[in-house]
Amino acid sequence: MSAAALAHVVVSGLATGCIYALVALSLVIVYNATRTLNFAQGEMLMVSAFVAWSAQRAAGLPLLLAFACGVAAGGVLAYVVERVVIRRAVSATHWDVLIITLGLSLMLRAGAGMVWTNDELPFPSLFSNRPVSFGPVKIAPVSLGIIGASLVLMLALVMLFRATRFGRAMRAVAQNQNAARLMGISVERVYSGAWVLAAVVGAVGGVLFAPVTFLSTKMGLIAINGFTAAVLGGFGSMPGAVVGGMLLGVIENLAPLYLPTGIRYSVPFLVMIAILLARPRGLFGRVERRKV
Amino acid sequence: MRRTALGLAALAALGWPLVAPKYLVFLGTLVAVNAVVAIGLNLLSGYTNQLSFGHAGFLAIGAYVAALVTLQVPALPVPLTLLVAGLATALVGLALGIPCLRLEGLYLAMATLAFGFVVTEAITNLDWLTRGNDGLRVPLARLGPWTLATDAARYYLAVAVAAAMILAALNVAATRTGRAFLAIRTSEIAAQASGINAAAYKTIAFVLSAFYTGVAGGLFAFVVGFLSPDAFDVFLSVDFLVMIILGGLGSVLGSVAGAAIVTVLNDSLAGFQAFRPLIFGAIMIICMLFMPGGLAAMTRRKS
Repeated sequence: MSAAALAHVVVSGLATGCIYALVALSLVIVYNATRTLNFAQGEMLMVSAFVAWSAQRAAGLPLLLAFACGVAAGGVLAYVVERVVIRRAVSATHWDVLIITLGLSLMLRAGAGMVWTNDELPFPSLFSNRPVSFGPVKIAPVSLGIIGASLVLMLALVMLFRATRFGRAMRAVAQNQNAARLMGISVERVYSGAWVLAAVVGAVGGVLFAPVTFLSTKMGLIAINGFTAAVLGGFGSMPGAVVGGMLLGVIENLAPLYLPTGIRYSVPFLVMIAILLARPRGLFGRVERRKV
Repeated sequence: MRRTALGLAALAALGWPLVAPKYLVFLGTLVAVNAVVAIGLNLLSGYTNQLSFGHAGFLAIGAYVAALVTLQVPALPVPLTLLVAGLATALVGLALGIPCLRLEGLYLAMATLAFGFVVTEAITNLDWLTRGNDGLRVPLARLGPWTLATDAARYYLAVAVAAAMILAALNVAATRTGRAFLAIRTSEIAAQASGINAAAYKTIAFVLSAFYTGVAGGLFAFVVGFLSPDAFDVFLSVDFLVMIILGGLGSVLGSVAGAAIVTVLNDSLAGFQAFRPLIFGAIMIICMLFMPGGLAAMTRRKS
């Protein structure tokens, strides 16, 4: 295979990887604040994408504004879910919250199927799919657009966590909840904020992802790839989530070139099993000490 | 009191094919099969707190092993076929359980989820053995001179196996092993400090759980008569979780009740496929928020 063709595969892998990275980031943001995994993260971004689609189709809004509507709807949904359902189970074990979010994911998926449709819909994209030549290398603008938009969002997240009061509060809660509370941080507000922030990041991933595949209620399954990406980088580490996402995207795009084609859909799972068995703390993760 | 209730239940189970229409006999068979899976899952997730999202994978392995063994050796008596299915699945459980000792909580959940996906993908791709997506027709089960060709015959087979497995599980739960499981659930570190070999017991739970699910898979193969990989998707694993959450984590009889309710509900919602996940999702959330411990805990509180 020529270097130019390889470059094309790697770049489109990086584009998919950026979306995985955004989903991984949204899982990690919730995990760091609340120590639980939101199983419904994928379904929440699916709802955001559907809202964006409706805003563009039914309300006739311009594409960017429709995307903003979808992302905002994701944030509102997350806020409501956190306040109405998850907050009641704050004292419960992680197990319980995991099951609750699993139940939520089933309900959101079925609900979206009823409100919208269970079929696959084409989704408008901001970027063209027709490859542009850079010297010998052909690259689709959509890949570059996804990578660019994701990088901008990731930079914004870095700024948020480094430079704002809320970002510092989230980091404090992630490090030690009790100490954070004693410093006057409202842990409950951080919980809400983490859910909303995660939903927004995930929703951006969703509206970037929907044009690449199709818009459908099955879109939520991308959360599994997001989780694999986060585990690959070390669950809980945000830079790890980004690197893990990119790595997974590239592996997934390269694997069919060297392995039987049937294996493509198993790649994320095989990667997940391999990393969990060989090095559960991932590339950048730390070992957590357990207490009784 | 409990003994009479169990006796009445046994009597009702035995008389069911004599009074019920054919389809309801089939439904009763499915309840028995699912009850065995639910007990198996509960031994793992309810008793030792190792959450599994991949039990449909174990069920698939048991089902395909039973079907392939029967195709090779048609004269093999059914109990032996089921035993082979159970043991083969237990072996897979051992192979998965030992590396999974390093994982807990959501990592384990995701590893088992991935396991479930890999099993169905493997069945699809190993089409020279399993006929892949075309599906595999399962021969009739045989017991010595008899062929179990009627719904009633298969019903009695499933109920007999389920009854034996329920009794065995109740016994396991009441022994040292069962208590060790529950101690691990409450606190693994405290259990270890009390001299329980947590790694060994967690592995035992994994193997036992896989064995139960494998036997149930064998029954499933004979009951349904046709296997294809898409029947064992992740949503089946979720159904099993709903059974034990509704029935009660860490309760054998609760698992049976949960399996019965979910199976019947699943069947009555067959015409409203869109509502099914909505209702099951709601059951999970409501159980976790308002009745942790499920049905089993509710009855316990009353008595």
